[in-house]
Amino acid sequence: MADENSKTDESTPATLPTHEELVDERLVAWYFLAALAYLFISMSGGFLMAFQLIKHNPLNGIEIFSPGRWRMVHTNAIAYGFLANAFLGMLHWVIPRLTLRPVLDRRLSLFIFCAWQFVVVATAVGLLLGQAQGLEWGETPVWIDPVAQLGLLLVAINFMAPIMKQKGPMYVTLWYFVAAFIWTFLTYAMGNFVPEYFVSGSSAGAVGGLFIHDLVGLFVTPLGWGMMYYFVPILLKKPIWSHGLSLVGFWGLAFFYPLQGIHHFLYTPIPMFLQYGAIMSTIAVELVVLTVVINFFGTLWGDGRQFWDNLPIRWFYTGMVYYFLTCLQCSLQVTLTFQALIHFTDWVVGHAHLVMFGVFSMWLLGVMTYLFPRLLKQEWYSQTLCEWHYWLSAGGMLVMASDLILGGLFQGWSWAALQPWDASVEISQPFWAVRVVSGLAIFGGQLAFVYNLYKTWQLSRVRLS
Amino acid sequence: MTSPPANRQRTMFIVTAVLAVLILVPSGVGFVNKLFEFYGVIKGEASGAFAFTPVVNYLLASMGFLCLMLWAIGHGMFHDIERPKQTMLETERMLDEQRATEVDS
Ligand code: HEM
Repeated sequence: MADENSKTDESTPATLPTHEELVDERLVAWYFLAALAYLFISMSGGFLMAFQLIKHNPLNGIEIFSPGRWRMVHTNAIAYGFLANAFLGMLHWVIPRLTLRPVLDRRLSLFIFCAWQFVVVATAVGLLLGQAQGLEWGETPVWIDPVAQLGLLLVAINFMAPIMKQKGPMYVTLWYFVAAFIWTFLTYAMGNFVPEYFVSGSSAGAVGGLFIHDLVGLFVTPLGWGMMYYFVPILLKKPIWSHGLSLVGFWGLAFFYPLQGIHHFLYTPIPMFLQYGAIMSTIAVELVVLTVVINFFGTLWGDGRQFWDNLPIRWFYTGMVYYFLTCLQCSLQVTLTFQALIHFTDWVVGHAHLVMFGVFSMWLLGVMTYLFPRLLKQEWYSQTLCEWHYWLSAGGMLVMASDLILGGLFQGWSWAALQPWDASVEISQPFWAVRVVSGLAIFGGQLAFVYNLYKTWQLSRVRLS
Repeated sequence: MTSPPANRQRTMFIVTAVLAVLILVPSGVGFVNKLFEFYGVIKGEASGAFAFTPVVNYLLASMGFLCLMLWAIGHGMFHDIERPKQTMLETERMLDEQRATEVDS
């Protein structure tokens, strides 16, 4: 029956290419390694800021180590260094295997890899030298913006080439990826150029709101969901519960997501109808998310044991539970009443960590856990270290997010009671101390992973020789 | 696939039509009302035009996706909607088998 399907599929080339013809494994591994390096740089920035907040900054007074600058390195290195690199590595594996066609040009892939590392390093250096652009999440110095924009265009061209040759119905992963290439390009242009050169004041604020949210929703989310729709069925060895429902989720995201960004700026001078519009489209996206979550849990149905026995699946589904939690948080955040309480508090920082690390990084780390042994053709050196990696990451994240979310509520109540600002800083101290401890647990988890990877690589060398 | 009996088809049609009217009419009225409000803001306030920027951004992005969706419908992308999930697993299996044979040999 399955053979029948593949024979009749018009999108498949006549002869089956080999995996080596399709996938440049070396490049996938390089992307993953670069991503891990930036993850450590980013976490170091996080610690610097975290220590500053508990008044124990070990590098106090040194301009280049200013926590304000390292905070920007923290977020930019995560978005453009860790997430972008890890996603690019994953795309080099998934797209050729799904379309049975290699990317447009392997030399172009190599060029993009080098160019992207230049963009990320130059961004970090620019930020540390005080050249940040005054736009949240778009702090990349203005002179790097055109280079990054060009890089995104090349990425889109390189990956769209095999996808465009597909004929007949397309698998949902490819729909998400196509959308991500277009959206990321447009979102980056909108956020980095429109407020800088074309509009100002509240208008620039509104565009900034669209940008920060669209960066999560139209760059990270489609790549993340697309990736899950590929890896979950492969690991569970059964198709996704409903392909039709997955497409409902995709088109729902396409139409409802782009308008929500303004929900970051409720109670601002932006006209109320736009704020209400953002709230309504957020509610619509909540329903869309529900279809996606139902689909994935429907797929796991009957195979619950795999959650415990299959480590990548555990990473994926833990990320999905966290995803559901972030969306639940969102449904509270988006109401004007609740927003009045939590705006500017650590509730939002907790939410940001939950979604960026708890969801997308967990998925990517799960993908790496699955792919590294295939790339190195060697089983993991230590399953125990793999378990430590998972538990320290998942547990550390749970503690960090709950701590910041709770701390945020106390800060909000303190401000609502018109307490002086200093009082809210004082009550935050225990919460900020717990953040450092949970951060150390997450950091320890990643150290275990990198050590395990190094030993696995050594074993693979020995086997080869 | 056999089609459902005629009376069931009729009930399904009535239920769909009633739901469509119940959902689409109020949403349509709300939407048109909002369009008038939007027009009022743009025309009425000196700085109202700035509200225009994010909406135009949204409409441009959505128009693109609307066109893509229509193109996809026209090209039969949603026919036999569950097939790609089987094909995808099958190609994966073939690639892995081929790779395993290469490694063995
Ligand atoms: C592991 C140790 C980590 C520590 C100690 C840490 C600490 C911090 C601190 C202190 C801030 C600034 C909060 C503020 O301005 O009040 C921050 C912001 C942020 N961090 Fe981390 N972080 C860590 C890991 C991560 C990871 C792994 C990610 C993502 C994968 C991440 C994503 C973010 C994001 C998105 C923000 C911006 C939040 C906002 O603006 O609302 N962090 N982090």
